[in-house]
This record gives sequence, structure tokens and C-alpha cells, in this order.
Amino acid sequence: MRIELDRPRCEGHGLCEEAAPKLMHLDDDGELVIDVPEVDGADLDAAKAAVRVCPVAALRLAAA
Amino acid sequence: MTMRRIVVVGNGIAGLTACDSLRSAGFDGELTVVGSERHHPYSRPALSKALLHGVNGNSDDALQAHELPEPTHDATELLGVSATGLDPDARLVRLDGGGELPYDGLVIASGSRAKLLASGHGGAGQGGAGQGGGGPQQDGSPRELTLRTIEDAILLKERVASRPSVIVIGGGPLGMEVASGCLHMGCEVTLVSDVKPLSRQLGGHLADIFTSAAIQRGLRVVGGGKARLVDHGTGTRVVLADGTELHADLVVTAVGDEPNIDWLAGSNLLTDGALRVDSRGRVRPEIVAAGDVAFFPTRRGVQRVPLWTSAIDQAKVAAVGLLQGDAAPEFNFQPYFWTEGFGLSLKAVGFTPVAGEPDFCEPGAESGSLLLRWDNPDGAGTAAALNYRIPVPKLRRLADAGPAALRPAAPALHPPAPARA
Repeated sequence: MRIELDRPRCEGHGLCEEAAPKLMHLDDDGELVIDVPEVDGADLDAAKAAVRVCPVAALRLAAA
Repeated sequence: MTMRRIVVVGNGIAGLTACDSLRSAGFDGELTVVGSERHHPYSRPALSKALLHGVNGNSDDALQAHELPEPTHDATELLGVSATGLDPDARLVRLDGGGELPYDGLVIASGSRAKLLASGHGGAGQGGAGQGGGGPQQDGSPRELTLRTIEDAILLKERVASRPSVIVIGGGPLGMEVASGCLHMGCEVTLVSDVKPLSRQLGGHLADIFTSAAIQRGLRVVGGGKARLVDHGTGTRVVLADGTELHADLVVTAVGDEPNIDWLAGSNLLTDGALRVDSRGRVRPEIVAAGDVAFFPTRRGVQRVPLWTSAIDQAKVAAVGLLQGDAAPEFNFQPYFWTEGFGLSLKAVGFTPVAGEPDFCEPGAESGSLLLRWDNPDGAGTAAALNYRIPVPKLRRLADAGPAALRPAAPALHPPAPARA
């Protein structure tokens, strides 16, 4: 699966980073950087957790 | 005690997070989730923000965009089913339709529902809001709309599409977000609030900024005391305590939420009508609670904090509290709040409301963007970012350690005193 970010919607809350620190991080300006966009296995579970906690529904998982 | 069967009542973000946390803490027994909403959990804060402010009106798209990915906690999900009772001695959850679920451990995450202004028409049961809020008028339309569930949001968006005149009752964050969304959609909007909007939640300084921006964008703000709804031939009339009468095509109320605890009546778990947990989320050793339903201890006393991140953080603590008891870590509640509307986006870390002017104020690169900090009397700080992009961990450092935290390389100079109004 592929992690997709709706950048205009993202407000930099950073809950996704807490859920999946290996896959994404906020840079110094508060912009989200997806470090590992293609995920499977245990990474996929972490990615789903990250998508779930986003309070503005800015993250989605799509078929790779 | 060995827990083989855990039942989670509530399928919002608290219930979902509890399930995930139980699994990651090693619980591999039978897990059952009871949710009165038919959907998988969705992003509730986005309903009054992105959904209402979005330009694409297709409800299916809207629903899909806000739906969260399918759970991975491998629980049996009973969706569209409400818990109707609890027997804590027999360790049984009763379901509507007559079923019963036995448990070794129980997570109460039944959430809250929108409070209605028109009395006696409350949606009963856990998560029962969203069905005909306010009781129907003669023509079958509800007297007041509320915004709590995705169905509420879709209905509101549909009703607002024809640009009716709108009265929003309630000057809290939800009322202000709804008012902003309706203005954005092109409606004439009146907000009824007996105090300055957002002042109870944020304090006077931030409330002034939001209210000024709102009025500049065309919001009419009306005080006049407690509002009540009066049926009227073609719509609903709002009458305020001072006699002011207001009319609009659509009335939306945002006057708070009430916990879904009806199903716990007779369970002996309630204290003065409230569900209280300890610092590990426990009501009893084998029963924990999390999210909008629960009162929990904070540095500022026992509170209910019906906010998204609060629900997530509580659920993580409660799950471990259920499995590990006294060995589980205690909850250290770190408030995080955000709202947006009228062209403003605010993130705040630390307890609010904050009193007086900020002790630190720094403009950002973009015009109108501000980074603010208050020293609170209890020694803790509150930091706020207004139209200012900053990672939340950094904002937290600003709240905890003061402005020096923003510039670790620079000498720790005392910031210039802000201009006082």
C-alpha cells in the first residue's frame, strides 16, 4: 500500500508521527515528510494507525 | 487475574485506540467491540472543520475521505448495536435486542452525544445523537440541527448548500467552527452566545482575536442570555432571556455534549451521576473507561475533556491499566487543543483558558502569524500557534520550557516584554 498525504489539509498536528515514527516525521517548519511511502507487513499496521489518528483526515492508504 | 475476554463498548477513536493498545500491550485473547454507529471509526474533529469548509459537496466522497482504514486489532465488531445495561457482579454487558456479552475485562468508551436545547428530545442510548435532533416540527423537519456524527455533518452540509439564513447557538469552538463553515458556504449567520465567543475555552486574548476576525468576515454576534427555541409557522424562532427574538431558516445548536452513561444506570459505577476513573483509567480493577464519557484526574482537578487527543491518550493509558493494574503507568494529561475558522488556525498546548495578555509573543514569517506563550500561576506554561506552522512537539517544548526552547543554540536571553494593551 502507498501512504498518500493531502498536503493542503495537513495542519502538522504530528499525531501520525507519534504513531509511526519510522514512516514519517514533521520537519522544522511543521511540514509532514513521508519517509517510507510504500508499506507492507508491520509497517502497514503502523501506517494504518497513523492514518487513523490524523484529526484532519489528511492521510490515506491507497493500493500501490 | 488472567483476562481472556475483553469487551470494549464504543467504537469511536477511544474504543479503537483501546483495542490497538490492548493488542500492542500483548493481549491476545478474545476482543469484542460494541459500537452503536454503523461505521468504522472516522475523524470526528474534521466534521466541523474540513468537511464543512470543503468545496466538494458529494456526501459519498465526504464520507469516504473521513473514514479511517479498517482496524487491525482483530476484534469481533458488533456495529449498529448498543449496550443497554451492565451487570458488574455477573460481568455481563447487555445489548439491545436482548443479547449479553460476558467479559473478564471491560473498556467503557461509549462517548458522548450532542446536548439539545429543546428539552425532552434527547437521543437516548450510547451514541444516540444524530437521529432527529431536537424533535420534529409539524412538517417533519428537526427544530435544531446539531453536529456530532458524520450523518449530522452530511445533513448540515446539505441543508446549508441552499444558503439559508442560519442561527448558531453556542459560542464554543464547535459553534464557532459551524458558524465559520456556514459563512464560508455563503450563508448569513448569527451566532448567539451569552459570553464573548471562545472566552471560556481560550481566555480573553485569543477570544478577542477570533471574534474580531469573525465579525470582520460578516458574523453577527448576539448576546442576551439563555436561548430557547419556539416553534413557528415556517421555521424556528429563537427567544433570548432578555426578550430578543431571532428568526432564521436554520437553527444549529452547539451547546455542549453529554456523556453516554444511560446504559450504566443501576450498575453502581456512577458517582453523582458521573463516571470517574483513577489515574490509570480504572473504575474498578476489571473495568476501565476512556474518552468523552470519562472524568479523570488532571493537574487542574477531575475533569471530562471531550477532545480527540484526550480520547486517544486516555485510551492508551486505560488499556495498559486494565492489563497491568497498579504496575501500569499513570496518566499525565497534556492538553492539546486546536480550532480553525474565519481564516484563523489555532493550536494550543497546555491548559486553557489563559488569563490576560501573553508573556511572549513573536510574529511568524507570514503576516498575521503569531507564536504566543503564557506563564500560568501554577508554574506551567501554555503555548499557542496562530496561523503559524510549527511541529507540535516544538510547541510543547515552548509551553514547557519557555521561549529559550525555540533557540537552543542562542544564549538564553529574556524575551522582550510584550506591549500591554
